[in-house]
Formats: sequence, structure tokens, C-alpha cells
Amino acid sequence: MYTELEKTPRNVLVCEKSNFENEKARLSSHVEQHYFNHKVSVLLPECDALPPHLDKVLNSFSSFYLVKSLPVYELLEKDFLETVVYKGSTYCLSYRTRIDEDNTFALLPSAKLVLSVDKDTYERLGLEGKPSCYSQKPVSRYVVTVDLKDRGMAPGGHGHQRILTALREQLPLQSDFLLAKHDSALQEGGAMQSLLSRYEWSEHRPQVNSNVLMALPCPPLLSSDLRGDHESCDPQSFLEWLGAIDAGISCHNRTSGFLSTFICPEPETLASQALRCSISGLLLPEDIYRLVEELRRFFDQPKRTSWLALTVHGFMDSPVSWGTMEHGFLKGGENFYSLVLFQNHDYWLYMGTGSNDGCPP
Amino acid sequence: MKVSLVLENDSTKLSAIELKQFIITGLKNLYGEVGAAFPFDLLKYDVDSQTALLRVYNRGLVKLWSSLTLLGSYQDQPCAFRVLQVSPFLLALSGNSRDLELD
Repeated sequence: MYTELEKTPRNVLVCEKSNFENEKARLSSHVEQHYFNHKVSVLLPECDALPPHLDKVLNSFSSFYLVKSLPVYELLEKDFLETVVYKGSTYCLSYRTRIDEDNTFALLPSAKLVLSVDKDTYERLGLEGKPSCYSQKPVSRYVVTVDLKDRGMAPGGHGHQRILTALREQLPLQSDFLLAKHDSALQEGGAMQSLLSRYEWSEHRPQVNSNVLMALPCPPLLSSDLRGDHESCDPQSFLEWLGAIDAGISCHNRTSGFLSTFICPEPETLASQALRCSISGLLLPEDIYRLVEELRRFFDQPKRTSWLALTVHGFMDSPVSWGTMEHGFLKGGENFYSLVLFQNHDYWLYMGTGSNDGCPP
Repeated sequence: MKVSLVLENDSTKLSAIELKQFIITGLKNLYGEVGAAFPFDLLKYDVDSQTALLRVYNRGLVKLWSSLTLLGSYQDQPCAFRVLQVSPFLLALSGNSRDLELD
């Protein structure tokens, strides 16, 4: 009778195990291609204070800018393209636009401009795009992807002029944008400063928070047992436990409790304390990878824990998740990855996406 | 699911047990004793904001969500449940970029 009511949209969880010393390890590629990151959380069991080297790297994440009412065509201006975009490591994402309702724009570090727009906007723009993979019939959303490094898109070229005309005259699209460039402060007299000076903008630093958890029950983890067939807990249970820690949910329940039956996966070990810290804002893959490298150094000194965990949450309203893979929002826009690092240089990588997403790489 | 309960009278505050019982009552009213016979957890509850984190098996999501939608009154007082976030991953509930406030 209730068969239809028991169906839920699909989701994807990819689990990968490797070792940092393995030449074929793909972690750097996964981190590098997850362009728009909103929050990074770190859990350090048996730790009561942030080590200085981690504190330093967290506080040296790149700043980002909020630019109000920036017309999209400004990202295609010759000076900006040649001195900022073509040099790479430039990230730009429309702010407070909902991918399931509004037009959403992104500039990727690979110099690709992605416009996820509704049907009316697409028809008025007159640019070549594709129907969204996640749009029902009749198609209500289109994605226009422009490779700005393509020969035809060189400033002054026919393709470049066409798109500039569409965005400047046919249908001037604009939005508030989050903008960041890795490893490059606001250059005096540079194209970035010139762009910002024409609009209302503000600089922001990623926000860092940390707290210490006492008497934390932890699940068993053995680096060789990713699936949880033997001593480790299974990936879904571990991620749920990690989510509970991040959300401040108590694991001290009875399985017959009225309010909640949530408990730590067994057999649990008790960590006398654990440090949970997070950083949020527009976080760049380069900074995240540097954090991963520093987290590996955590085990340089003997530690009472054999593992630590890092979780990276992507922006729910980004038009892409990994690389140029289209990302959407149905009941949720989750696109995240969790990394468990072990003392022996092994790591586990979990990549999770929702229903309007492809399979992570 | 991350949900929040909005009551007409802001000063009315439900305890965690009262909230869970309220949701169970709503489920039974809509689906009957048998239809509502599935477990769900109230993982976390903030009394001040009346925001709760619920956990339910996949097969119970639609029934739970629909009964929250149709719960319109608490002790003769108009109310509404706002579903703030839904995800198969509990981890995703602590990283909602839509909460980012920079202005």
C-alpha cells in the first residue's frame, strides 16, 4: 500500500583507500578539482589544543572578496582575462543565488565560465548551451559553459565579442559574487583592484572556530579495513558518527531510548578528549591541500590516536561539484568529501553527493 | 532532517519529549497506527529556537515529511514545521552554505 511512499531519491557515496606514498594516489586531483568549498572541519582525537603548525596554516587561508552587483561581462574584460583569469587559481561564484531557483554563475580556475540559467534567460541570451542533466521535461534549466582559453574566445575574437555582446547588451546579467585568487594579494594598480574599485566590495577572512570535546566515544578504525568487514565500522556508520560529532549530537543514548537510539558504532573506544575545529568561507583547494599536508605532519610526533579526520563541504549552490561535473539541488545540494588520515600514511577518502549530481571521480 | 517548529505564540516552548510525542501524534493521525509504526530519532533539539535534527530510515522519509507538513496546530495553537535541510548524510547538515552570512 505504501510502496510509492517508501521511495527516496538516490545518493552516491564513493569510498577510496590509498596511501600517500603511492604514486598513483589521486587525492591531490580530487582536492584540486573540488573548486568551491564552504567549510572544512577537522577532528583530532586525543588532542586538547591546536598544534602551532596547524593553527598557522588555518589562519593563513586565502582571503576572499564579496563584490556586490557585479555584471558577469566584467569577468570577460580583456585586462581581467589576461592578467587574472588566464594565470589560473581564480575562483568566482555567485553569492546567495540558489541553483534550483535562480540564475547561478561561476568562474572556474581552469578559465571556464559556467552559467546555469533558467529557460527564459537562456533564450534571451542567445548563447550555445545544453539542457541541465537534472531538468525535467519540458526543460526549465540550461547550462552554458564557455572555455575562455579556447582560441575562439581570445579577447577581440569573434566568439569573445559575441558572448560579451550577449552579456553586456542583450541581457545584462549581474549578481553578488564571491571572488578569490590564490596566493595573490590585491595588486596595486592591477586588473583585480581596477575591477573591485568600480563596485561595492568587501574583503573577508575565513572564520576559524575550535572546541575541545571530553570523553568522546570513538568507533574502531583499522586502515586496512575500509569496508568494515572485520574490525572497523562500515563507512556509512562512520560518516554518520562523524556527522554527529560535527553537529554536536550526543552519542550517549540507550538503544531503547525514546528520544534517540543513536549510539557510537561498536566496539567503541573512549578518547579522553578530542579537538574539533572548523574554518568556513570561500576556501580554496590549494589551501585545503596545504592543510592536508600539515595534518600528515601531526603524526610526526608519537600520538595516542592512530587516525584523524577532515571533512570538506562544497557550496550547495555551485553549478559544478568536481571538475566541470554539473551539480544541482533537489532535496539537498550536498557535495562533500571526508578524509581519514592514518599514522601509517594510509588514507580513506569518502566522497558524497546528492541526487542531482554525477558520480564523484 | 533539520526542522524548526514555528508557533503563533512565540513564548510557547516544547520540550524534546513533547516535540517527539507531537510528531508521533501527527504521524498516527495521517497514517494510522500501522502506517506510523516506524522509528525515528530526535538527535538534537534546541529549545530556544525550537530547531531539531531528526533521523529516519529512507522508507519513512516521505511519511515523516508529509506528516510534518500537515501538522497545523499544537494544543489549539496554529503552528508550522519548517523543513530547513534534508540529506541522507548527517555530515551534510553541519555544512550548509546557504547559512553563509557576509553582509
